[in-house]
Amino acid sequence: MQWLDALIQGVLLGGMYAQYALGMALMFGVMRIVNISHGDLVILLSLIGISLASAFGLGPLPVLVALVPLAVLIGFVLQKTVLNRVVGNDPLPSLIATFGLSIALQNLMLQIWSANSRSLPGYGLESRSIEIGGIYIGLLPVIVLAVATGLTWGLDLMLKRTRFGRALRAAAADVEAAAMTGIDPRAVYALATAAAVGILGFAAVFQALRSTVAPADGPAQLIYAFEAVIIGGMGSVWGAFIGSMVLGISQAIGFRIDPGFGVLAGHIVFLFVLATRPQGLFGRA
Amino acid sequence: MTMTAVPFADAGLPAVRVQRQTPSGRIALTLALAALVALVAMPWWASTGTIRWILELCCYLAVAQMWNLLAGYAGLVSVGQQAFMGAAGYALFVLAQTYGINPFLAVFLSLLVPAVLAVPTYFLLHRLEGPYFSIGTWVVAEVFRLVSTNLPLVNSGAGMSLRVMKDYSAFERNVAMSLLCATLLLVTLGGSYWLLRSRFGLALIAMRDNPVAAASQGVQVGRLRFLIYVAAAVGCGLAGAIYFMAQLRITPGSAFDPMWANLAIFIVMVGGIGSIEGVLIGTLIFFVADRWFGEYGASYFVVLGLMTLAVALYARTGIWGAIARRWDAPWFPIGRRLIDPQQGTKGETR
Repeated sequence: MQWLDALIQGVLLGGMYAQYALGMALMFGVMRIVNISHGDLVILLSLIGISLASAFGLGPLPVLVALVPLAVLIGFVLQKTVLNRVVGNDPLPSLIATFGLSIALQNLMLQIWSANSRSLPGYGLESRSIEIGGIYIGLLPVIVLAVATGLTWGLDLMLKRTRFGRALRAAAADVEAAAMTGIDPRAVYALATAAAVGILGFAAVFQALRSTVAPADGPAQLIYAFEAVIIGGMGSVWGAFIGSMVLGISQAIGFRIDPGFGVLAGHIVFLFVLATRPQGLFGRA
Repeated sequence: MTMTAVPFADAGLPAVRVQRQTPSGRIALTLALAALVALVAMPWWASTGTIRWILELCCYLAVAQMWNLLAGYAGLVSVGQQAFMGAAGYALFVLAQTYGINPFLAVFLSLLVPAVLAVPTYFLLHRLEGPYFSIGTWVVAEVFRLVSTNLPLVNSGAGMSLRVMKDYSAFERNVAMSLLCATLLLVTLGGSYWLLRSRFGLALIAMRDNPVAAASQGVQVGRLRFLIYVAAAVGCGLAGAIYFMAQLRITPGSAFDPMWANLAIFIVMVGGIGSIEGVLIGTLIFFVADRWFGEYGASYFVVLGLMTLAVALYARTGIWGAIARRWDAPWFPIGRRLIDPQQGTKGETR
């Protein structure tokens, strides 16, 4: 029973990680770049959301409605001003640029919001739970998982069915050939990053509701997103989703074994997958 | 170093000389040797406080140059070299404090740990593409930190103190620190200079400019990357062991501090990637900035972060790149220049 509980908690935790991992999978799939400030953007959005909530007395839903468009805008501006200049075959410029941005963002947040941990008031939502067969499951984590599933499904559908999705996949497969068929790669990239950071708007609200956020928390979220993407296998959004589940379950079981072992268990599973199946669980070799 | 004459067997080719050293290079080499002598002689001219900050400066130089070797030449952008600094630091503390081995011998013995750990790390991580490799190195550093937090051998999260240093007088410790500083720079900076001037250097420069083209010319890119990764791990390990010996205390948080990655990236990118001169310039700027503006804390780091961002966007070759474009006076020339005695310069590599 204890292990079943850990498994369920792990899947629910995975729902949170999936919301970070989707955007990273999308950006790497399309542009071959990793935004080191990915986790810091989640924290920045969370802190903005918390400040909005306390200034105007907003509940979680209005904060979400305000944050997602803001996140989309941040993503768009980030691509236009920074990432479009560093996208290319050499991974160094994009890494260094987003690394610098990450340091600057973390310390800027430290100055504005101080080092304290904060969270978003959920007006009772965070403490409500449902009982299934003797196991209590928090309502909020279930909502997080449902939203993560919805986002993954929506992103997958968008990539497969829409005109923009086709342009994205074309740019990912061969950017020069795509440009020859009339696709503007820079515009596609800007929309991809806008979508990737937009998803972080959801992640920011749920992260702040589920637990606390502090300016220095970003790098840990970046690492979890990265591990989920690698475990799942690059190139598919469902891979990132399943990778998040595996990471969540590993951490939850690790925490049950020893509280100091939880995060480490996730890292070990990641290294194990890397050693035995480097293309990831769902990646094509 | 003097000019080397390379006789050509084929009589059809013009008689040329290969020039490896320049006047600016000779001046710089003389100054570098003078600096090395001054380092060794520190106990006789510097106070303990001065020796401490010079030691810190030497560690910055060494770590930055190791990162430069990885990112600038081997194309391996690591953000987790602190893994090897902490591993060697902990090895030193365990060997000297727990097992009672002479600490000055233990500094060198402890280098085995980063060397051995670097091998499986590389074989796991080299499967990851470009930017994912970088975050992988970070995960490894986090794993090392979490393992040391849970490992009773290194006193878990509470950290260790190097109490055996009490057995040595302040003067003896100063002499040892000065010799270790000189060794550190000789191994990391001097070793890099020697490496880049050797046959391997030619391969590394080819790899820096274009790994695919280098491979097609017979450079064993994969093997060379592996060797550089292990060498950089040992170099960072030596810096870590010396740094923590001077600190006398090590904890998981300080041993595997990502601050070292920030610092190396800032120094190399602002100074100028792919050159030893850039590392010297960058370290000097960082060190002065740290002394003057360090008290401003967060806002100082905002500026450092934005400067790194600006360099990546607008000036990828850094300060040394801008200088080298204007004046052809390298401090540490690694190129080869063909001189025709009758007509002057024929061609060159840089």
